[in-house]
Amino acid sequence: MNQSSAIQTEGLSKHYGEVRALQDLDLDIARGEVFGYLGPNGAGKTTTIRTLLDQIRPTSGSAFILGRDVHEQAVEIRRHLGYVPDDLTMYPDLTGHDTLTYFANLRGGVDWAYVDRLAERLHSDLSRKVGDLSSGNRQKVGLIQAFMNRPEVLIMDEPSSGLDPLVQAEFQQMIREVAAEGTTVFLSSHTLSEVQRVADRVGILRNSRLVTVESVAGLRSKAMRRVEFEFASPVEADVFEGVPGARDVSVQDHRVTLSYEGRMDALLQAATGRYEVVDLLTEEADLEEIFLTYYREEEQPTGADDGRVEVIA
Amino acid sequence: MRGSVFAVTLRARQRGWLIALMSLSALLLVAMGAYRNIDLSIYTELPEAFRSLIGIPENADVGSLAINAMVSSYGAITIAALAIALGSHAIAGEERDGTIALLLANPISRRHVLLSKAGSLAALTALTAAGLWAAILGSAAVLDVSIEGMHVGALALHLFFSSLLYGCFALAVGAWTGNRSGAAGAAAGLMIISFLAVGILPLLAGAKGFVRIFPWHYFDGSDPLINGVDWSHIAVLGAASTVLVLAGIMGVDRRDLKSRSVGVTLIDRLRAHPLSERIIGRLAGSARVSDIWVKTASEYQALFLIVAIYTFFIQGLLLGPIYNSMPRAALDAMSNLPHEMLALFGGGDISTVEGFYQLETYGMMAPVLVMILAIAVGAGALAGEEQRKTMGLLLANPVRRSRVVLEKAAAMVFYAVLVGFVTFAGVALGSLISNLGMDIGNVAAAGFLQTLVGLVFGALALALSAATGRKNVAIFGAVGAGLALHLLNGLGDLSPTMAGFANWSPFHYYLGNDPLNNGMDWSNAAVLAALAAVLIGLSVPLFERRDLR
Repeated sequence: MNQSSAIQTEGLSKHYGEVRALQDLDLDIARGEVFGYLGPNGAGKTTTIRTLLDQIRPTSGSAFILGRDVHEQAVEIRRHLGYVPDDLTMYPDLTGHDTLTYFANLRGGVDWAYVDRLAERLHSDLSRKVGDLSSGNRQKVGLIQAFMNRPEVLIMDEPSSGLDPLVQAEFQQMIREVAAEGTTVFLSSHTLSEVQRVADRVGILRNSRLVTVESVAGLRSKAMRRVEFEFASPVEADVFEGVPGARDVSVQDHRVTLSYEGRMDALLQAATGRYEVVDLLTEEADLEEIFLTYYREEEQPTGADDGRVEVIA
Repeated sequence: MRGSVFAVTLRARQRGWLIALMSLSALLLVAMGAYRNIDLSIYTELPEAFRSLIGIPENADVGSLAINAMVSSYGAITIAALAIALGSHAIAGEERDGTIALLLANPISRRHVLLSKAGSLAALTALTAAGLWAAILGSAAVLDVSIEGMHVGALALHLFFSSLLYGCFALAVGAWTGNRSGAAGAAAGLMIISFLAVGILPLLAGAKGFVRIFPWHYFDGSDPLINGVDWSHIAVLGAASTVLVLAGIMGVDRRDLKSRSVGVTLIDRLRAHPLSERIIGRLAGSARVSDIWVKTASEYQALFLIVAIYTFFIQGLLLGPIYNSMPRAALDAMSNLPHEMLALFGGGDISTVEGFYQLETYGMMAPVLVMILAIAVGAGALAGEEQRKTMGLLLANPVRRSRVVLEKAAAMVFYAVLVGFVTFAGVALGSLISNLGMDIGNVAAAGFLQTLVGLVFGALALALSAATGRKNVAIFGAVGAGLALHLLNGLGDLSPTMAGFANWSPFHYYLGNDPLNNGMDWSNAAVLAALAAVLIGLSVPLFERRDLR
C-alpha cells in the first residue's frame, strides 16, 4: 500500500454469483489529482465507487483511501470524504438547508459561510423541499453536501447529470479550485468534454476491466487532428513523408493539409526546416473520438499490465 | 391484454395477496384443529349481548367458530387492508411515485386507467375471497369438521363486496386528492371505526339502528355464514362501490395531476406562517435533523398522530362512558363464564371493568397499535432508506453502520413508549371520568407491557430489514409472526393439547399474568425486554456484514 496515494486498489474484484461486476482493478491515484473514470453503462464504474464507500464488499482484492483500508477504517475515511452518488436521491420532506444541516451534524459541523458561498455559486435555493426540486436543482444540493466539509477526497458518480451548461461550467471551476488546494477528485462521468476539461488522468473501464489509464495530455497527443499549413512558396509533396504520425498528406500549390497523431514539435520541425510557414491551422484534438474508440473496442486489450493499449484510431 | 394497465397492476400486486391468502388458510387450518379439542358446551349458554360483541353465531360449532375467528375478523380486516392499499395506490400512489405522467403519455384516458385499476382491485379481491372459500372447504374436509348447513359461499360473497367497498373508497379519495397516505388513512379509519361500531353499538340501548350507517354491518350483520346471502346488503355494498368508482372518475378527470410530490404537513404550514415561523423553524428544522434517531422519528410523526388520537379516544377515553351505559344485567350474566372461553378473546371477564378493557383494548388492539408504529419504523428505518436510495448518502458520513441501526432502534423504542403511554393516559382518564375505579398503577403496568410486546415485533421487523434490506420481507415477516403467535397464545389457553405452546408466544408474557388485576409482573417484562434487546442486538451484525442494496 502506498501511503502517499489518495485512492489505491489492488486486484479489486466484485462478483455477484456468475456476474463479474468488477475484475482485478488496480488503481493508484495521487493526492491532489483529478481522475476521470469512464466507461459504458454497466462497465463497473458504480460498483467501484460503492466498494470504495464500503457500501458493498469486494469478493477479492483490497482498496485504500488516504492509506486506510476502506472497510476496516471506513468511518475514519468518511471524515475526509465527499460523495455524490449515482442517481442521487435525498429526503424529499427536508429542505435543502435541513438536508445539509443533517449531514453537517453527522460530520461534526461545517463552515456555513462556505456553504452559502457554494449555494450562491450554483444558484441553489436551499429553502425549498428537496422533493419539490427539479432533478438539476436537487443535484446542486447533492454537490453542495459533497463539497461543504472541504473533503480531502471527493468521489462523484455522474455529478453533473441534470445541470444546465452554465452550472456545469461553474461546477468544473469548483473542481479545479479544490484540486488546486490539494483535494483529490474521483469523477465518474459520461460527459466526455467535462472529463477532458478537468481531469489530469483518465481510466477507462470496459466489461468490468480497466482497459487503460492515461493522462489527458497523453491521450490528446494520440488523437488524430487535421492540420493545415500555408507556406510562402510552393512545396514538394514529400515534405511530410517520413514524419511519424502524419497521414493523408495532400499538397496544393503552397498549401498542405494532413492528418496527424503525435506531439506537435516533430511536425513543426519538419515544416519549418525547409520552408517558411505563413499560417498554421489545427483543429482541436478530438478526445471524444478516442474515448469512444476505447468504449467500442471488442478485442481483449494487449499490454494490459502496463495499463496501456493500442488505440485503433 | 398482457401489457394492459389491468394486467400490470394485477401482476405487481398479486404476491402480497397470495401471501395473505396462504397465511390465512394456514391459520384457519390451525384454528379448526384447535377448536376440535375444545368442549363446546360452554358456548351454548352465552348471553346474546356477549355473542354479539365477539361475533359468535347461535348454535356455534367447531367449524363456525373457527371460520368466524379467522375469516370474519382477521381475514376480513386483512383483505380489506390489501384492497385499501391497492385502491389508494391506484391513482394517488402513481402520482407520488411520479409514474402517472409516463403512464398517461400513452394513448389512454384517465378514466381508462382508473377503471383498469378498479378492475384489478375487483379481480384480486374476488380471487382471494374465492381462495378463502376453497380453504374453508379444504380445511373442513382435511380435519373432518362438519360444516353442513353453513353458507360458506355466501360469506365469501359478502367478504368480496365488503372488501371491494373499502378499496373503492380509498381509490375515490386518492383520485380526488392525489394524496395516497390520506386516502389509505381515511379508508382504514372507516374500516376500523365501522368494525368496532358494529361490535359495540348493538349493546347500547337505542343505538342499535345506527349500525346501518357503518359498512361493516353489511358484511356480517346478516350473519351470511348461517343465513346465506342477504341480497339487499350485497346490493348496498355493490351500489356504494359503483358510486365511489364513478366519483373517482369525476375526481381524477377534473383536477391537475401532481408530479412526484411532497405533502404539505401542518408543521410546514406553521413554518411558513410569520407568527409561528421562528419557533417552529427551530423545532422542525434544525432540531428535526439534529441526529439520526430524531430525524427518523420525525418521519413517522403523522402516523403517530393518527394512532395516538385513535388510541386515546376510541381505545381509551370513550370506553369508560360506553361501559357505564351497557346494560348491567347483560354484564352480570357473564360473570360465571369459564375462563378458557374468555381466554381466546383476550382473557377478559367483561362483568368487571378490567375484563371489559382487556377485551376491547388490551387483548388485541393495544399491542396492534404499538406494532403499527414499531413495525413501520423497524421495517422502514433500514430497508426503507435503502430502497429510497438514501442509505448510501447517509453512510458516506463518518457514522458506523451499528450507530445507524441503534439510532433507528431508538426511534422505534421512542414511539413504542409513547403509544404505551397514550393508551395508559386514555384508559386511566376514561376510568376516572366514568368513576370506574381502575387501579392506575395496574393500568400503567399494562401500558408498559403493551409497549414491550409491540417492541418485540418491531425489533423482529428491524432484524429482518437489517438482514435483507427489503421492506416487504420485514413487514410481512413481523406481521405474520404477530398474527400466528397471537393466535397461538389464545389457543394455548383454550385447548389442552396446545397449552404448552402458549409459553412460546410473546403475548403470553404480555397479559399472561393479568396486569390489569394483578399489576406489574417484572419477570414477564424482563422476558419481553430481553427478547426485543436480542433482536435489536442481532440487527447490528446482520446489517454490518451485508452489501447495501
